[in-house]
Amino acid sequence: MSGLLRLVGVGLALLLAQALVHLMLPVAVQPDLVLVYALAMGLRGGGLQGLLLAFGAGFIEDVLSGSPPGLFALLCGTACAATRLLDRALYLRAAAPWATYVGVYALANFALCGLALKSFAPAAALPWELLVVRAPGSAVLTALCAAPLLGLFRRLLVEADRDGSWPVLATQSSRGRP
Amino acid sequence: MSELLRRFRYGLSYFALASLCALAMASQHAPRELGFAPRLVLNLTLPLERMVTVPVSELRGVWGDYVALVGVREENERLRGSLARAEEENHQYREAILSSERFQKLSGFRAQREIPMVPANVIHQDLSAWFQSLIIDQGAAAGIRPGMPVITDSGVVGLVSGTTPGASKVLLIVDPQSRVDAYVERTRARGTVRGNSGHEADFEYVLRQENIEEGDLLLTSGLGTVYPKGLVVGRVASVDRKTSGLFLSARIAPAVDFTRLEEVFVILEQRQIPDEEAFSAADEGLWPSAPKKPSEATASAAPPKPAPAAKPKPKTVPAPAAAPPAPTPPEALPEVIPGAPQPAAPAPEEPQE
Repeated sequence: MSGLLRLVGVGLALLLAQALVHLMLPVAVQPDLVLVYALAMGLRGGGLQGLLLAFGAGFIEDVLSGSPPGLFALLCGTACAATRLLDRALYLRAAAPWATYVGVYALANFALCGLALKSFAPAAALPWELLVVRAPGSAVLTALCAAPLLGLFRRLLVEADRDGSWPVLATQSSRGRP
Repeated sequence: MSELLRRFRYGLSYFALASLCALAMASQHAPRELGFAPRLVLNLTLPLERMVTVPVSELRGVWGDYVALVGVREENERLRGSLARAEEENHQYREAILSSERFQKLSGFRAQREIPMVPANVIHQDLSAWFQSLIIDQGAAAGIRPGMPVITDSGVVGLVSGTTPGASKVLLIVDPQSRVDAYVERTRARGTVRGNSGHEADFEYVLRQENIEEGDLLLTSGLGTVYPKGLVVGRVASVDRKTSGLFLSARIAPAVDFTRLEEVFVILEQRQIPDEEAFSAADEGLWPSAPKKPSEATASAAPPKPAPAAKPKPKTVPAPAAAPPAPTPPEALPEVIPGAPQPAAPAPEEPQE
C-alpha cells in the first residue's frame, strides 16, 4: 500500500510544482509536469492502477483549470496508455530515450489537445497557430524535467508492484519485468 | 467471457474512461454548480496549493516592489507628464458630469444606480497554460450564481463559470471560451472581444472601415446577457487593417492585470437569457400577419414563467470602472456564455436613456 501512496504523493507534489511553474515561468516555456506523471504511470507495462492515477491527475488538473471538463483527464489517460504500448519497443529505461520520448509525446499532446477541443468542445477550441508557437519550448522543458524523474518513477513503480499495493487491479503483465 | 474481459480489461477501462471524458467535454453546458467530485477535489487541493503558492507570490511581490526598480526615474518623469494631462482631462470630465447631472434632474430620469456586489479574494490561478481562469473564496453561500459578471475597480475580469458553497470558478475574459460584446468609447465601433489564451484578447467582427486607433478605450455594450453596460474592458493595443475581407482585427490589452489580481467583485445581478417564448412573442409583434401553427399558438399563449426566487440582499457598492452613460450602438452581437444555447434572434434593445 505504501508504494501506491507514494505514487499518489508524487502526483500531488507534481501538481503543486505545476502551480508554481505557472506562477514563475512564461507560458511558452512552461513544462507540463502532470503529463510527465501520466506518461510515467504507463512505464513497466503500466497496470490498471497507473491508468486510474493518470486519469485522476488529469481530472484534478481539469478541476483546477478553466478547461472543458474531461480534457486533461482524457489527455493524461491517453498518454499513460501510449507509454504502456511503447515502453518496451522504445526501451524507456534510460534517461535519454525517456526524455526524448517525453519531448516528442509533449509535441503530439499539443496536437491531441487541439483535436480533442475541435472535436468535443469547439467553443473552447484553441487556434492552431497558438499551439504551434507554444509547443516547442514547452516540449523541450517538459523533456528536461522528465529526465531526472525517471529513476524515481521506476523505483516507486517497482515498490508498488512488489508490495501489491492494489492487488485487485494490478495487471499480471507488469510482474517480473526489469 | 470473464477470461476475455480480464485479458482486455486495460483497453476496456481506457475506452470507458476516455468515453466518459469525451462525453463530459461534449455535454458542457452553461456555467453551473460544480458536482460532488470537483468540489471534493477543490476542497482537498486548494489549501495545499495555497500553502505553496502564497509564499511564492509574496516573494514575487518583494522582488517587484524593492529589487526590480530599474528605470523607475524615467517612468516617474513620464508619469508626471501623464498626470498633468489627466488632471486637465479630469477637470473637463467633472464639468461634463455636472452638466449630465443637471440634465438628469431636469428630465426626471433615474437616479444614479447602485449595483449589489460581493467582494472576494483570489485564491487560485489556472493550472494549465491554455486556459485562463481563477478561483475566488466566495461561492453560492454568498449569493453567487454561475453566469454572474466579475469585475475590479480597473475593469471587467470575467464571469462565474461554476460555484461551490464556499468558492467559485471565474472564467477570465482572456480565456478562449470567453466572448464580450464591446464598443470603442471614442467612435462607438462595435465588436466582440475574444480571449486568445494569452495576456491579451482579440477584438473581432469590427467593420474594416471603422475608425479604431491604438489606445482607444473599450467598454462593454450591455447588449449581451452577462455584463452591464459601460464597464471598461481594455484598450486597443494594435490594429491590423487587412487588405481584403469585411472585418479588421485588433489586439486588446485588458484593463485588468490578471497576473496580479488579488481582490475582485462579483456583481449579483444576473441578466436573463431570453427564452424562445420571448423571441416568438417578439416575432409576432414584428410580423402580425404571419400564420401560426397550432402548437406554436399554444406555446405562446402559455402563462409567463414565474420570476426566480429572491436572493439574499447583499450590501450595495457603487459600480467601479463604469464610464459615463453613452448612446446605445446599433444592432447587437450577444455575449457568449460558454456552452450555452444561443438564441436565434437578436437580443431586444435596452431602453434608451
